[in-house]
Amino acid sequence: MATKKKITKYTGKPAKVLQSEPALVIEWPRNLAHRHTYGKLSPFFKGLTQGRLLATKCVNPECGEHRLWLPPRADCPDCNQPMTWEELPQPIIGTVHTYARVEYAGAGIELTTPYFQIDVELPGVCTIFKGYLQYGTAEIGMKVKACFRREDPTNTILDIYWIPVADDTDSRS
Amino acid sequence: MITLKEGNWRIPKWNRKVFAVAGGLTNYKKFCPEMKIEEQVMVAFRQMLENNDLKVSPVEIKGLINFLACGEFADHFQDQLLCEAKVTDYLGLDPMYDIGIKTGGATGGSTVLTAAMAIASGYADVALAAGWERMSEVDTRTGNYYIATAACKDFETRLSRIYSAYYAPMAVRFAWAYNLSEETRAKVAVKNHLYAYYSPYSQQPGKYTIQDVLNSPMSTYPLRFLECCAMTDGAACMLLCDEKTAYKLTDKPCELFIAGGSHTLRVADRRDMEIPLLPHETSEMYKGLRKKEGQRWPGFESFAAARFAAYFAYRTAGITNPLEELDLVELHDAFTISDIQTYGDIGLRPYGQEPDYIESGDAYFGGKCPANLSGGLIGTMHAVGATGIFQGVECLWQLQGKYDKFHGDPRIWESFGKKKPEDWKSLQIPSGKQALWVSHAGVGSHVTVGILRKAF
Repeated sequence: MATKKKITKYTGKPAKVLQSEPALVIEWPRNLAHRHTYGKLSPFFKGLTQGRLLATKCVNPECGEHRLWLPPRADCPDCNQPMTWEELPQPIIGTVHTYARVEYAGAGIELTTPYFQIDVELPGVCTIFKGYLQYGTAEIGMKVKACFRREDPTNTILDIYWIPVADDTDSRS
Repeated sequence: MITLKEGNWRIPKWNRKVFAVAGGLTNYKKFCPEMKIEEQVMVAFRQMLENNDLKVSPVEIKGLINFLACGEFADHFQDQLLCEAKVTDYLGLDPMYDIGIKTGGATGGSTVLTAAMAIASGYADVALAAGWERMSEVDTRTGNYYIATAACKDFETRLSRIYSAYYAPMAVRFAWAYNLSEETRAKVAVKNHLYAYYSPYSQQPGKYTIQDVLNSPMSTYPLRFLECCAMTDGAACMLLCDEKTAYKLTDKPCELFIAGGSHTLRVADRRDMEIPLLPHETSEMYKGLRKKEGQRWPGFESFAAARFAAYFAYRTAGITNPLEELDLVELHDAFTISDIQTYGDIGLRPYGQEPDYIESGDAYFGGKCPANLSGGLIGTMHAVGATGIFQGVECLWQLQGKYDKFHGDPRIWESFGKKKPEDWKSLQIPSGKQALWVSHAGVGSHVTVGILRKAF
């Protein structure tokens, strides 16, 4: 009785040839999902989905920096001690420090273009906080109010956005 | 407030002198299917060994190299971990040790810094700095996204997925704070595309007008396409030596000084701090700098990493007045605005007066301290891991008086399938002694400042 040969079979999908001259160029598809942790910043991202903006603050009396951090950091970069959380009181009104109008965005963009990306100064915060303006035209010095995507949250930084204070209507679609 | 102490301010000191002797580049282009990355590095390596008038044969020089610093910006693009092992093997330099260097857009500068440290410490007498990038492995928009992962992935990347959107806020703020016009920004683009026109290596040469730049499509307002560098396939090599070997290899060595600085990945996290002063500056100069509401330094206007790199590099090289003592500079003009911001950081103008470096004519060929005669990133290339090496090589060739040899030879143009323009002109500076180049990452996360000084 003949023994059945065990053959190693090709189970892939042949690479698509994109061009063959002057050199052979093939397509190399990728479809990967990474597991990404928000780590100690998880309260911040959970907070956004609950309509809360949480910053961190160093409470070490020997440290020279006691202002709020936004984006938050779990540990103080000056004294390296763990920081504590503090919620910003509502309504959260900030001032546009600078801005950009995004017209040509990279692959995977989740916002309709063009839109204004804005950098917002907030009282008591030592850093400046980047976000986007839901509508209106950004200008340096403009007052903006924080809004939250509580329904159908993205679980990303896109769960917070800003609207002009002068025209206080959240017209999320 | 970041408070620095004595040790932080220590000026770097080489244990022995470091020299650059030779360089090599490739034909920079958007998509180079005809060569794999290691094959492109070979092109740059061969030009470095064979065309730099070295007094020793290529094979003998290979026999002197015992360390490689290899620059590559992003594994995303190459999709090949440990690419440096492939390159070292391909160049025939096994089993010499190679260290992969990765500091974003400053990778090239950091690669030269690493090779220089190997020479200065005595680890090597001859070290190779090689850098490359192959960005055409993905389409442009995917490439934009990949690059945008050099913004903070949790707090910034999703807010645009293209790097111009992280420079545009700086352009807006700078214009507001320091009265920068769109026309001045456009002049940087016009100048660098034009200088690229005279370079056989360039990817985006062009004779544009200010209006052409302002009419070009918007990437992120206020930055137009013609104000932005492109993605590039290409490589660059530079050979570094100790003093004795340098004179053995060439009659035209240049002494090298290089230092770096780093700052937060997110611009918005840059708390106000005191400005470290360059040798020619006084604190009096900056008393009125924060006069506008919300002003801070470096803020969105400037780069502390570039200022620190210049602070250390000038003191290491003994430069006391950069504009007077430097004969040319190569700056990291990934965007017109980043070029302009850097004029203040490296002291070509005091902070707040950066636009005057362009408007005065100082930045042009024939001016006091011309910038980016290579065509820079906007005109010639940004194959990221190679960029800071390419800039250094262009500085080296200028000081060696070899601009024409490497840019004007019709055979080089022809070897790239290009025709030397009828109206080609030489951008060789007449008698340069010192050149500086800035290699810059992210929105100013890492910056090196390199200085080459003629030693012949």
